[in-house]
Amino acid sequence: MHRVDGHFVRLAGALLLAASLLGPAARAEVRNTEPPLQHIEVNRFDRKALRTGALFFMYDCLSCHSVQGARFSELTGQLNLSAKQVQEYLNTTARRVGQTMKSSMPPKIAEQFMHKAPPDLTVIAKRRSVDWLYTYLKSFYLDPSRPTGVNNVVVQNVAMPDVLASLQGLQKPVMRPGWRFGVRQQVAVGVRPETAGSMSPAQFDRTVRDIVLFLDAMAHPHARARATLGPWIVGLFAVLTTLSYLLYRQYWRRVVTADGPRWWTYRGRR
Amino acid sequence: MAVDAGSGLAGWVERRLPLGAVWRRHFAGYAAPKNFNVWYVFGSLSLVVLVIQLATGLFLAIHYQPNPDLAYWSVLRGIMRDSQWGWLIRYMHIVGASAFFVFVYLHIYRGMLYGSYKRPRELLWLIGVVLYLTLAAEAFLGYLLPWGQMSFWGSTVVMNFATAIPIVGHTIADWLRGSFVVDLPTLNRFFVFHIFLMPMLLLALVLVHIIALHQVGSNNPDGIEIHDNEGVEGWPVDGIPFHPFYTVKDAVAVSAFLLVFSCFVFYEPGGWGLLIDKLNFDPANAIHTPADIHPLWFFLPYYAMLRGVPDKTVGVLTFAFVFVLMAAMPWLDRNPIRSVRYRSLLYRINLLVVPASFFALGYIAHGGATQSNMVFGLHVTEVFYAAFLLLPYFNRPRPGATTWAWLVLFEACIFLIDYWMYETHAHPWSLMLRTDWIPAAYVWLLLLAAALRPTLAEDVETLPSRLTPGGVLH
Repeated sequence: MHRVDGHFVRLAGALLLAASLLGPAARAEVRNTEPPLQHIEVNRFDRKALRTGALFFMYDCLSCHSVQGARFSELTGQLNLSAKQVQEYLNTTARRVGQTMKSSMPPKIAEQFMHKAPPDLTVIAKRRSVDWLYTYLKSFYLDPSRPTGVNNVVVQNVAMPDVLASLQGLQKPVMRPGWRFGVRQQVAVGVRPETAGSMSPAQFDRTVRDIVLFLDAMAHPHARARATLGPWIVGLFAVLTTLSYLLYRQYWRRVVTADGPRWWTYRGRR
Repeated sequence: MAVDAGSGLAGWVERRLPLGAVWRRHFAGYAAPKNFNVWYVFGSLSLVVLVIQLATGLFLAIHYQPNPDLAYWSVLRGIMRDSQWGWLIRYMHIVGASAFFVFVYLHIYRGMLYGSYKRPRELLWLIGVVLYLTLAAEAFLGYLLPWGQMSFWGSTVVMNFATAIPIVGHTIADWLRGSFVVDLPTLNRFFVFHIFLMPMLLLALVLVHIIALHQVGSNNPDGIEIHDNEGVEGWPVDGIPFHPFYTVKDAVAVSAFLLVFSCFVFYEPGGWGLLIDKLNFDPANAIHTPADIHPLWFFLPYYAMLRGVPDKTVGVLTFAFVFVLMAAMPWLDRNPIRSVRYRSLLYRINLLVVPASFFALGYIAHGGATQSNMVFGLHVTEVFYAAFLLLPYFNRPRPGATTWAWLVLFEACIFLIDYWMYETHAHPWSLMLRTDWIPAAYVWLLLLAAALRPTLAEDVETLPSRLTPGGVLH
């Protein structure tokens, strides 16, 4: 970014200044209807589900999205597989096991397809939430006005196509009166099935949960370490607090009652 | 020369390097008042957090790459995954930063509660204000380093504060950034200032702060000088040696802090989005401005002040004036009684409104940049300043006429500010009127009570001659 030519930098600088000057005034209340997110619980210790999620992720998501924060080798620990197994069954790219999980799709080409480079998914579960991801993946609906033919309840005018349509089937929106950028209009708040997919609704639900679990594991690679180590460290400090409090009581017994002769020395008083 | 340095190796060292003398002067022989309560642990806790930040920061700096192309992934991959225990070190640094501000805010308010800024501790207080500003700068500089969206845009906004200066503002902003936008030169200098300049300043100022404290002696919750009541050999009757009594008490505080600290580090390092902003998980993008740019929680009150004012220069001056008022505390509050324990009811209420309105400002700024929040922010800012500026009112008992004069003056100021606000047409009348009454009503209530019931503004007649027991953990 620091190698672009001077004119662009000046223009961008001027725009930034204008934005920061006018920003607070221009940002008035713009009402938008926020569709409710569906809540799910993820079990970070469910390794079988994590493996399923990884498998779906590698075949359906990694084609476009990267997870550049992680290396394929990390999966050996997370999924309890050998490096050879990861390369054989999971790595759908030509990259080696020690390399980062980078999609084979060059971002420039993806941008030509969808007018937006697919975001990296390393910390998407932290950036959004597992509830958001779960609701988002299940809430694509048919919208002929969109280039991809689909839209999403959670992300209005989403650039991503409905990748899981063959599994889930197609869906119609549930429209309600609401707000979009301060304008009163019909807003999609949910979806209802239109055609059947190759999976039953229960199977598909399970699959989406597994994918979300995998994304959660990518965002929290040390969740296990934290869960294993945490109680020990917290317990250690609980013990330390108790002991130091008892020691404190022992010392201060003398202060509370001592109004007579002092027992301490004060050689060093200035 | 050292008279009783002792013999043997310890004596040999002591005669050349007076470690024992320093220990006696600042720990074992330092007379501290015996009635310190729980408010008095936050100074040493801040010091502990400073050490945590220095130790963890060292390791983070080893693995961090101060380059816009590498910074984001050097944190999320290099530190969080590729380096052993990197995640633990980083989470400690993140939680530590917030803990630092929690303790410093409590430490400052302790000083306000017990009048620790009053003679002879004015300079001690001023050094503390400079320390707080240095810490704020340190936190701000460090926030750019992960190179996320909030890092980038937060720094962009703050660097643009310089453009509030007339005529030369933009030149100064360019000079500060080293570029026309926040970019490689900005990141490099922020990195160097964050890991080198500011920590060095912090350490030096902490040392000066402690030297100044030990020169004038510690204040206490009663606000009575213990050295005014000295017994045999000049040792204060109500004094106890700092070591072992307060070292053992601080040990309890440090252990309890580490317990809470590790709960955050291991179970909620992001602090429900308060310690790590969710938007900062997106890499910095100079051509995509987030809908809402906001600082981390410890700067939110200032942000509400800035957003409340529909003019950038005035807005920047509004929140910068907080630091001026903080520094002016010893000369604003000139009442001879230090501790809030012996001050009037109305003074106590007023002193409670200062942090309450500061907290409310933070809450308002957390609510996002809606128009009603901006207006609400302005009006709570007025309350905050009114509470601060009403401190001199309580310096001595005031006759009724003076109280009415104060009331008219304050209401006139609030009216002028609101009149100017209406003039700018920044917000609709209806919205303004919703919270307009709050500052006016606060000043009315406080001063009306003082005018009609002067006893409510009266401090106690005589202070006790000895320290009184009491307080938590005592």
